[in-house]
Amino acid sequence: MKKLVLVLCLMVSSMAMAQKTEGVVTYVRKDYWSKMISRLTFLSQEQKDRQTQLRKNWEENNKGTKMKMAFNANESLYTYFSTEPEEGGYSWRQYELDLYRNFEKDKKTDIIEMLGKTYVVEDSIHAPVWKIGNQIKEVAGFICMKAETEDPVKNQKITAWFAQDIPVSAGPERMCGLPGLILELNIDDGTVIIEATNVAFRPLTADDLKLPKVKGKKIDDAAYDKVIRQYIAQQTVAHENPYWEIRY
Amino acid sequence: MRNLSLLALLCLLTASLYAQSPPAATRFTLQGRAVDTTSAPLPSSTVMLLSAKDSSMVNFTRTGDNGAFTFKNIKAGTYILKISFVGLIPYNQLIKHAGEPVMDLGPLKLKPITRELMEVVVRTAKAPLTIKGDTIEYNASSFKVPPGSTVEDLLRKLPGVQVDQDGNIRAQGQEVKKVTVDGKSFFGDDPKLATKNLQAEAITKVQVFNDKTEQAKMTGVDDGKKEKTVNLQLKEEFKKGGFGKLTAGAGPASNNVSTRFEGKGSYNKFDSKQQFSALLLGNNTNQQGLSFNDYQDFRGSNSFNWNDNADFGFSGSNRYLYFGDDNESLTIPISGGNGRGFTKNTAGGLNYNYDTKKTKLSTSYYFNQTRLNLDALRENKSYLPGSTNLRKTDTSSQSNLATNHRISFRLEKQLDSMQTLLIISNSRFGLNTSNLQSQQRVFQSVANSAELPTTYSQSTNNSSANQFAIANTLLYRLKFKKKGRNFGASATFQMNKNDGDLLLKARNEFYQATSVNDMLRILNQDQGTNSVSNQYKANLLYVEPFAKKFFWETFYNFNLRYDEVDRDVANLDDSRRRIDSLSLYYKNNYLFNRLGSSVRYSYKGLNISAGVAGQQFQLDGKFARDQSQPLQPINRTFTTVIPNVSLNFDLKNNRYLGANYDVGVQIPSSRDLQPVTSNSNPLAITRGNPNLLPQLGHNLSASYNYFNPGSFINLWTNIYTTYFVNQIVYSQTVDPKTLITTTMPENLTGGKNLGSNIYFGFPLKKTKATLNLNTSLNLGHNLTRINEVLNETNNQNYSFGVRLELTPKEWITFYGNANMSITNTKYSINTTQNQTIYNNSIRGDLNLKLPGDFYLNTTLNYNEYKNEKLNFNQQIPLLSSSIYRIVGKAKKAEIRLSGFDLLNRNVVVSQYAGQNYTSTERIQSLARYFMLSFTYNMRGVQAKMRRDYY
Repeated sequence: MKKLVLVLCLMVSSMAMAQKTEGVVTYVRKDYWSKMISRLTFLSQEQKDRQTQLRKNWEENNKGTKMKMAFNANESLYTYFSTEPEEGGYSWRQYELDLYRNFEKDKKTDIIEMLGKTYVVEDSIHAPVWKIGNQIKEVAGFICMKAETEDPVKNQKITAWFAQDIPVSAGPERMCGLPGLILELNIDDGTVIIEATNVAFRPLTADDLKLPKVKGKKIDDAAYDKVIRQYIAQQTVAHENPYWEIRY
Repeated sequence: MRNLSLLALLCLLTASLYAQSPPAATRFTLQGRAVDTTSAPLPSSTVMLLSAKDSSMVNFTRTGDNGAFTFKNIKAGTYILKISFVGLIPYNQLIKHAGEPVMDLGPLKLKPITRELMEVVVRTAKAPLTIKGDTIEYNASSFKVPPGSTVEDLLRKLPGVQVDQDGNIRAQGQEVKKVTVDGKSFFGDDPKLATKNLQAEAITKVQVFNDKTEQAKMTGVDDGKKEKTVNLQLKEEFKKGGFGKLTAGAGPASNNVSTRFEGKGSYNKFDSKQQFSALLLGNNTNQQGLSFNDYQDFRGSNSFNWNDNADFGFSGSNRYLYFGDDNESLTIPISGGNGRGFTKNTAGGLNYNYDTKKTKLSTSYYFNQTRLNLDALRENKSYLPGSTNLRKTDTSSQSNLATNHRISFRLEKQLDSMQTLLIISNSRFGLNTSNLQSQQRVFQSVANSAELPTTYSQSTNNSSANQFAIANTLLYRLKFKKKGRNFGASATFQMNKNDGDLLLKARNEFYQATSVNDMLRILNQDQGTNSVSNQYKANLLYVEPFAKKFFWETFYNFNLRYDEVDRDVANLDDSRRRIDSLSLYYKNNYLFNRLGSSVRYSYKGLNISAGVAGQQFQLDGKFARDQSQPLQPINRTFTTVIPNVSLNFDLKNNRYLGANYDVGVQIPSSRDLQPVTSNSNPLAITRGNPNLLPQLGHNLSASYNYFNPGSFINLWTNIYTTYFVNQIVYSQTVDPKTLITTTMPENLTGGKNLGSNIYFGFPLKKTKATLNLNTSLNLGHNLTRINEVLNETNNQNYSFGVRLELTPKEWITFYGNANMSITNTKYSINTTQNQTIYNNSIRGDLNLKLPGDFYLNTTLNYNEYKNEKLNFNQQIPLLSSSIYRIVGKAKKAEIRLSGFDLLNRNVVVSQYAGQNYTSTERIQSLARYFMLSFTYNMRGVQAKMRRDYY
């Protein structure tokens, strides 16, 4: 078996040298609350329409949250771009969010603060099963192909656009496992859009991939999914929007 | 090398997965070579192996230098092989494994995407290009055409499509025979019909493909002929929408109450840019205006705007100045609840919003009219220095008709990415007529002696007024390239015009008068008052980020208010002779200048700011009894320095800490400044004071909140205190002979208050039962001068509340709350009159879903008002219930039977203890009535069992 891998490695090594596989991507994440509210099953059409009409201009003015991801062929770390307030406004504390992937070791460490706790999810990567589509488009200067998957826990349709010529399996939020770097994520027909605005290729330093030292409750993927599933069920029963407190 | 390990890993994974099964014909190796149309190898192409069933990715690899790829040890089955390379059409091939151990596909040719498509569509228009076999799909919204363009104009822009002068279309060189819209043929076979008539704006996608001929479709026999077809896909949001709602109800006359009715209709129409809404309502069930939901439906995207504040000041505090004027608001009033007395209401309006990224326009017209009949019984007990008490009773009957027209305009224009211009204009035109008949009696008691009647007064006030008010604001904001650097400038012009006339007839009998002349006073006056108040404001703001995490904010405010009052009072019993003591001509300029600066530190949820402002007020007034007489000047200048400190700290785990110190400034109202005597209530005369200074309140507050979204536990606490300098208080002098009270505002320093609120909520059982507890405390120390003696009133208010939400099942919900409030009031001038008043309430709201799609809602509102000293004790239970059923297959209609105040006990009561008096008020109000109503909602009716929080 090992020989096979070695042969394969050698075979692809020459072409891979020419590729750019290390750097930092900047993303902008935008949440469209009216679409999110429209998906809440307990609301009447009248309430959904009211919110859609009301929030129209706010959503247009929403500049989104800047995120960044450091990546190389084996690892990636996705987190906030900055803790500073944009455009000099008041500073609000952000929920801790650091998503680390190691593709070589098939390991991930996700530090996620939610529901009044800080969780540290440690497990193997568990990349979703992707369906590859027939569309191409440009994101941040790269020609990307379309891939689709579903989140069975949040019951979401996820569309990813991955770069044809950046052979890295990393991606924003908790998405990864495509033949190219994911430069855009579109959750539930534009309810949340995470779009790359810039890809800078440069050698990473050790700090780029360093997780902050945070104390938290250690859980695995199954336990994490259970927390999310329970919370969504609970909030839906209580007629409350679960996504004020967890990421959509 | 790292990326190699990744690939190796993936291969290893795949390989190791399958390595366990025995090698057989069930496994095979797939290999091939990616080449371009000239057979040159395509190194580093992405090669993906997809499941043929659902296109899900099974494995992937990259081609080597020679374009070759290999998938080893693949489970036998059917796959789709997909190869992609930048600039080439992705290659797809179905792989059916026929049993051979190695399947060699040989060279696989990838065709180029035409340069045009690649450059124009993908790179320039950033449009996704969908390739479905031989179909290429464009995203039409990416191709900019001028507004009003037709689809034909759009097609001309698309690469690979030509449209000739006659409108004939050719795509990829072939003539287009058919144009469909959303897959359906559009008004017959002529392709030009659709392209010449449809608006380009309405189209989201243009698909060009080869379709079977109509003949082949009809016969089902594929004749092999293909027609070039263009399909136009309509935009989702362009599909225009409209919705409406109508409610009509009526109830029989009963219980001395005439027939009840209510009606409300609304219609909204919208598309991606525009929102239009119309609303009309009328009722005699005390529903005076728009509910919060009605308002949002009416105003749509313009319901709330955050950045409209043109009065710059210390960040965090919105307004820097408060005016005492109680003018009705210029914007549409939101009110739901049951009003006092009996009202008949009409309201209606139109709203139009036009929103694009650069321009946001909103205009509205709103009309409302309320006819109010109010019968009130009031009792007031006031305490004078020494041991004298006065008790006044007032029985009044009032009928009012108030009509208001409101027009609003708001335009927000994004001049470029850095500059924003905002124009806001709100205006109101109001007409009021009122007739008030009142009977008052005054009783005096000294120490513990028996009460003696002193005065009896009967009066009739007929008044009418025209009001016009307008506020226009221009606001300009500029952002700089340097993040956080901001500039703002604004100008505002406000005008308030009021032309009023009061016919006052009163007959006052004074039982204790010593001379015959003083025993009876009869008033028969015509009081005409014309007043204008103009306000000019200009504001500047500059924010400079002078170091990392630090911001320096500077602002300047200019404010000039010009008041002019012309008041003529004539005695109708004396051939309209002018009464000089009540007439006045008055002009003033109230000039206000403020310059302030503050420094803010903002980082990681911590915001601290500290600043100081200097402000100067200049009053320049002139008055005379008449316009023709020489004007007497009043000049005052008042300068003060106001500090401002604030702290906001967003801590870990949803905890927030806040603390604030600021100085609030309240400018005396125009009415309080005018040296005018008003005798509209002949026993309670009010007089203005031109020497009034602005009131300063030093406010200190702190708050701490905690919220745990996991356990649903909430805690909110705050504490606040205010110390007043130059507080505007209403001092009284009581004429020892007639016991007529004259009230005049003056400035007193030393008033203060201190309070705290605590709110704690937690689930008894998650999603089923929630309990909230709250308590608050308020201690007040207020000063007033009564007959030149300084009176200190101390109020202590304690309140406790509990709220319970029960939502055990889908068919039953209950929301209940109970509140208890105790107020102790102590008067320094008359310690024997210390009061304790109680205001208690219990409310319950029960929702039930009954069999047969019936729903029942029952509410009980129980209020108790008690003052033992005054022997006042009133309990009011209000029980209301409604049963409704959603009818029709589409669930768009509702029939409802409601009974309001089933026990027929409604009286609106209030009580107050403060200053030097206690008072109670009882107002006869709309009590028991029944109503049968019907609602039709185009978007469907949903039963309301729960309160939603979203």
